[in-house]
Amino acid sequence: MRDLRKNGRTEQRTTEPRTPMPLPFVEEQLPNGLKIVIEIMPHVKSAACGFLVRTGARDETPALAGVSHFLEHMCFKGTPRRTWRDISVEFDEMGSHYNAFTSKSRTFYHGWVRAGDIERQTGLLADMMQSALPPDEFDMEKGVILEEIAMSNDQLEQLAYHLLHEKVFAGGPMAWPVLGYEETVRALTREQMREYFLRRYVPDNMIFIAAGNLDASQTVAAVKRLCDGWTPRGVTGNGVRTPPAFHRGTAVRQVERFNQQAILLAFPAASARDEQQEESAALAAILGGENSRFYWNIVQTGIAPRASVWHEDYEDCGLMILYGIGDPENAEKLAEAMQREAIEITTKGVTEQEVQRVRNKRRTQLAAEAEAPYYRLLQIMDDVDYRGHPRTIEERLERVNRVTADSIAACLKRFPITDDGYFVSVGPRDWPPV
Amino acid sequence: MSQLIHRHLSCGIEFAAEVLPGRPTAALEIRVLAGAAHDPADRLGLARLVEETLDKGTTRRSGRELLDAFDAIGAQRSSATGRDTTAFGCVCLPEFLPQAIELHAEMLRTPTFPEEACRVAIDLAVQELSALEDDPQALTDKLMDRQAYGPFLGRHPLGEKETLQQIRRADIVRHWQTTFSAGRLLVSVAGPVDPERVADCLEKCFAGFGSPQSNGREAQPLVFSAVRTHHPKELEQEHIGICYPGVPVTHADYPVERVLIGVLAGGMSGRLFTEVREKQGLVYWVGAWHEHPRNAGMIHLGASSTPENADKTYRTLLREVDRLSDDLLESEVDRAIVGITARTETRGDITRAHCSELAADLFHYGHPVPIAKKLAAVQAVTVPAVKRYLAEHPRDRLSVVTLGPRALAADAGGE
Repeated sequence: MRDLRKNGRTEQRTTEPRTPMPLPFVEEQLPNGLKIVIEIMPHVKSAACGFLVRTGARDETPALAGVSHFLEHMCFKGTPRRTWRDISVEFDEMGSHYNAFTSKSRTFYHGWVRAGDIERQTGLLADMMQSALPPDEFDMEKGVILEEIAMSNDQLEQLAYHLLHEKVFAGGPMAWPVLGYEETVRALTREQMREYFLRRYVPDNMIFIAAGNLDASQTVAAVKRLCDGWTPRGVTGNGVRTPPAFHRGTAVRQVERFNQQAILLAFPAASARDEQQEESAALAAILGGENSRFYWNIVQTGIAPRASVWHEDYEDCGLMILYGIGDPENAEKLAEAMQREAIEITTKGVTEQEVQRVRNKRRTQLAAEAEAPYYRLLQIMDDVDYRGHPRTIEERLERVNRVTADSIAACLKRFPITDDGYFVSVGPRDWPPV
Repeated sequence: MSQLIHRHLSCGIEFAAEVLPGRPTAALEIRVLAGAAHDPADRLGLARLVEETLDKGTTRRSGRELLDAFDAIGAQRSSATGRDTTAFGCVCLPEFLPQAIELHAEMLRTPTFPEEACRVAIDLAVQELSALEDDPQALTDKLMDRQAYGPFLGRHPLGEKETLQQIRRADIVRHWQTTFSAGRLLVSVAGPVDPERVADCLEKCFAGFGSPQSNGREAQPLVFSAVRTHHPKELEQEHIGICYPGVPVTHADYPVERVLIGVLAGGMSGRLFTEVREKQGLVYWVGAWHEHPRNAGMIHLGASSTPENADKTYRTLLREVDRLSDDLLESEVDRAIVGITARTETRGDITRAHCSELAADLFHYGHPVPIAKKLAAVQAVTVPAVKRYLAEHPRDRLSVVTLGPRALAADAGGE
C-alpha cells in the first residue's frame, strides 16, 4: 500500500470544502496484474465498489460491433457458482444501488451499499467477472439488446449523437454505437463473445475500485482472496489502442417522423490525459453550461429551447461538441448562432469573472462529491483509467484554480472551434445541402 | 445524530430543518404551494412560466446579474413545476446558506418579469411541447397523466400550445401575485446549519411577503378514468403505460404500498424485471412506481417493446400484479423491505437527499417525520398485510395508454 496524497497542502480559502475529507488512497496491484484502488471516507455510512474492465466499443472489430455491451448484460446472467436469479437476489438482499455501463473504452460494474455489506458485494461482483456466459440465456438476452437498440432509434438525440461519431471517427472502432447495430448483434454467436471475453476480462486489464467507510486492509484481503487465482494474459488496453483520426465534413440525416432538428458541431479537443483537459472542461462550461453564453445568447433569445456544449474526453483523444435542438425552420439561425458564439469566444476570449464562476461551482460540486461514495467511485474510476492514478478532491480543486482566461485562450489556440469541424444535422429537414 | 426542527414562522413560512453536523454541503428547498393544477383553465402552462421567468431580473439586478450572484457562491440550483407545487432547490457550501436564502428571497419577492423574457419563455414553452413529441417516454407520461389524473392533476406543466398562445406578461405577473406569498411557502434545509439562524434569516428575508396566512394546502381533485387509449405514432417500439389508484402518503397502508412496489420493481430480482425481461426477453425497460399528489396516490406500471412483443408484455405486467395475491413469498417481502431500508440509508450520506425528504414531509404530513419512524413502518409490513392491501385496493379499474405503431390486441385483457 502506498500513500498517494501529496504532502504539500493547497492554499486554504474560506470557500473551499474544508471538512470532512477522505483519508489517503490505498493502492495495490496483485501479481496477476489486477489493480486495487481504495479511498476511505470515515465520515460516511455507506460504501461503493466496482470492477472496471478496460474494454469497450473501440476494442471491437466491425463484425463484433456491440459485443462489449452485450457481454456486460451477460455478466449478470450467471457464473459457475450463481444463476442469474442468484445474482439479482443477492444484490437486492443487500439493497444495493447496482448497475453496469459500457462506453467506447470501458465497462464498469458497480454497486453502492451500506458499509457493512461491502465485502459481500465485492464477492458478488468478483464472481460476475468470471461469467459462465450461460448458453441458455444468450438468445434471450439478445432479444433484450435488440429492444434497447429499438428504443435508442426512437430518440432523436441518440440518432444525432451516433451519426456524429460515425462520421467523426469514420473507419475506426470509435465510429459505431456502443450498442452495436441490429445486424451485428443478431449475427453474434456465443462462441465469438466467449473468445472476446477470455481475451479482455483478464486481471491485467481490470481495476477494482472502492470508496466509502470501509476497512482498507480487509477489503484488499478480500480482493486478494477472490481474485488472486485469475490468470493474466498480458493484455494492456492502452497498448493495443490506436488514437482515432478526426474527420471533418458535413452529414445530414433526414428523419421525417421527428418534430425537431438536432444540430451538432464537433471539434478535436484535449484528451483526458492532456494538460489542458481542465481548460477544455472550463471552456465547455463557459460556452454552453448553466448561465453560459449559449444559455443567454441562444436559448434566452428564443432561437432554440436547448443549446449546450460538452467536452467528451478519452485517454487519447477528445471532442468539443456544440449541440442545439429546435424547430426545423430555425435550423439556420441555430447553427449560425452556435458558430457565432464559437467565433466570439475565440476572438475576444473569456473573462476572469467567467472563469471564477466555473471555479466557484466546481468547489460546490467537489464538496457534494466528498459526501457520496458512489460519486467518488465514478471519479476515481475516471482518474485511474485515463490518468493512471486517483486524484484527491484537493488536487482537482487546485487544478481548477489554475485555469485562467489566458490558459483557456491557449487551449483554444491549440484546439480551435472555428475552423472546419464536423457538422451534423438530423431531423425532418434535409438541411444543409451536402 | 441528526436533529429535526419544525416551526411556523411569523412571516408565514412553514420551516423544517435537519441538523447534520460535519457535512461539507448544505441544501435548501423552497416549495411554493402552486403548481400546474392551480393554472387558470384558459392559461395552462402559467405556473411553469412564472418559474421560468422569475430569475430573469429583479428590482435590484438583471437576470444575468442574478445568476452571476448565485454563481458567486457556487450555488447548484434547480427548479421544477409539478402538479401541486413549484420547487426551488439549491446546494451550496454551508457558509453560503444565508446568501442563498437572501438570493432566493430576492428572486421570489421582487421579480420584474421583463417583457422580452416573458415573450421568449412562452415561445420556448411552445418549442418544448414540440420537442416533447420526439421523446416517446415523456409523451406517454403526458398522455397517461391527462387521462388518469383528470382535468386538474392531469395537466402537463408545459401547458398546451393554444393556452400558451393566450398568455401575456400581465398574466404571468398576476399569477405570481396570486400564488406567491409567504403563507404558501414550505422551506426545508439540511446540513451543518444553525436552525435558529436560518429561521431568523427567513423571517428577515420574507417578512411582509404577501399574506402570512397558510394557503394553498387544499387537495386538488383527482378524477380517474378507467379507459384504454391508443395514440398512433411512427416508432420502432410500442410504449405501454398502465395505472390505477393507490393510497396517499398519509394513509396507514402507504408503507405496505411501498413494499408492494418494491416486490414488483425494487431491483433486478423484482417480479416485473424477472418475468418480463429476464425470463422472456420482451423489453429493455420495464418498471413500476407510485406517484402522490396531495391526498391521493396512483400506482404505475410501464414498459416499452417492439410491437410484436407488446401484447405479451402487457399481459405479463397484469398477470404479475394479479398473481401476487396467490403466490407472494415472504422472501420477496423481506427483500423489498431491505431494499427500501438500505437505499434510504445509503442515500442518507447525501445532504440534499435529507432536504428533499423533509420537503416531501412538509407537503404531505405538514411536519417532518423521522426517517427511522418511516422505515419502522416499512419494516413492520408482512405478507398478509400486502395481500390484504391487494384485496382492498384491487387493480380492477385500469387506465391504459399505448403510444406507437399499433394498438394492443382487443383481447389483451385488463379492463
